[in-house]
Amino acid sequence: MAINLQKGQKIDIGLSKMTVGLGWNPNEGTGYDFDLDVSAIMIDGNRFVPEDEFFVFYNNVDSPDGAVHHTGDDPSGGNSDGGDDESINIDLTKVDGKIQEILFVVTIHEAQPRRQNFGQVRDSYIRIIDEQTGSEVCKYELGEDFSIETAIEFGRLYRRNGAWKFEASGVGYKEDLAFFLSKYFKGQIIK
Amino acid sequence: MAINLVKGQTIDLRKNDKGESFDLSSVTIGLGWDVRQSRGGGGFLGKLFGGGGEEVEYDLDAIAFLLDKNGHVANRGRTFQKPNGNKINLYEGDVVYFNSMRHPSNHIWLTGDNRTGAGAGDDEQIIVKLDALDPKYDRILFIVAIYQGQRKNQHFGMVENAFIRAVDNHGKEIAKFSLSGDATYNGMCSMKFAEVYRKDGTWKFRAIGEPFATDNFLELLKQY
Repeated sequence: MAINLQKGQKIDIGLSKMTVGLGWNPNEGTGYDFDLDVSAIMIDGNRFVPEDEFFVFYNNVDSPDGAVHHTGDDPSGGNSDGGDDESINIDLTKVDGKIQEILFVVTIHEAQPRRQNFGQVRDSYIRIIDEQTGSEVCKYELGEDFSIETAIEFGRLYRRNGAWKFEASGVGYKEDLAFFLSKYFKGQIIK
Repeated sequence: MAINLVKGQTIDLRKNDKGESFDLSSVTIGLGWDVRQSRGGGGFLGKLFGGGGEEVEYDLDAIAFLLDKNGHVANRGRTFQKPNGNKINLYEGDVVYFNSMRHPSNHIWLTGDNRTGAGAGDDEQIIVKLDALDPKYDRILFIVAIYQGQRKNQHFGMVENAFIRAVDNHGKEIAKFSLSGDATYNGMCSMKFAEVYRKDGTWKFRAIGEPFATDNFLELLKQY
């Protein structure tokens, strides 16, 4: 039973293994491919990424604790017909003790030079799936909710009293992946 | 520490995205570039130092740092006095450069030679026998510096069509990355160009393209 998310809505996840799935349809018109990316930013109590490797994205597919795994980049949306094109698998039992939150963001790669936004991408969504049952926990339809944006903070998993909760953020920006990263990462970002 | 958001810049050297496999017993890292003639773009100082529209000699050097698991250049070699009295530092250490072109292991060297078929178009080449490399070496960082760039007012903003590529033992190109010089490279005289590193029992190749103002690779060596 899927929950279509409201901004700020909190969910008791009650799962230890889940998948964040991003899906969209390839560009069948003229112009560039739509290259959507899902990334996970793992932050500590100071709200910073403690080491480079705790930023899980297309160039770094595994967090050092083995808790977060990105299945790899899909540059066009062609990975699956109607299903998830990019996925991040999460095992909350393995998360390093110093990590307090995992943020999930979706960005359109090269959105600015390609002049793209979520409004142009067909059937794009991000969702959480219970890995045990395969059922959908919650879902955002991106094209409807974020038509002129290029970057979305999907939501965050966070620890509260020893349990993990999920809060849907649903905030869109006309920004790129570096924008999100720069909020939580003190090191150098090469664009 | 840096996170690189540039896409498609990491390649598994054993096979590429087409699933082709490569012979890594020796890999040639080739660097190439063209120089854009700055038409007085160097301003007064540029004209003074020959940075104007005339044909200018550029001397770009490729350098390799062999790093251990802690990201350090463990062996900084020795000081060596040439017969003519010139002193050379970092001789026969874990830095391969124009004054110490062959690593003591014989597994990595700088050719400076552009005449092999496999390397057509490369301006500088470093050959690495990856499979033979001592396990203590975890990463090789390739640096390009414009020799005396700061004094000559030459910088990467003037360099066009720069590329770095990896070619396998049979001359098959594994990967090639272009670095387009733009205004962000103005005034930048050296660059961390690319690296090969061990991951999950294989070697990977990553383009970096991170520029620095200094034209002296010894400044970058301080980080390692």
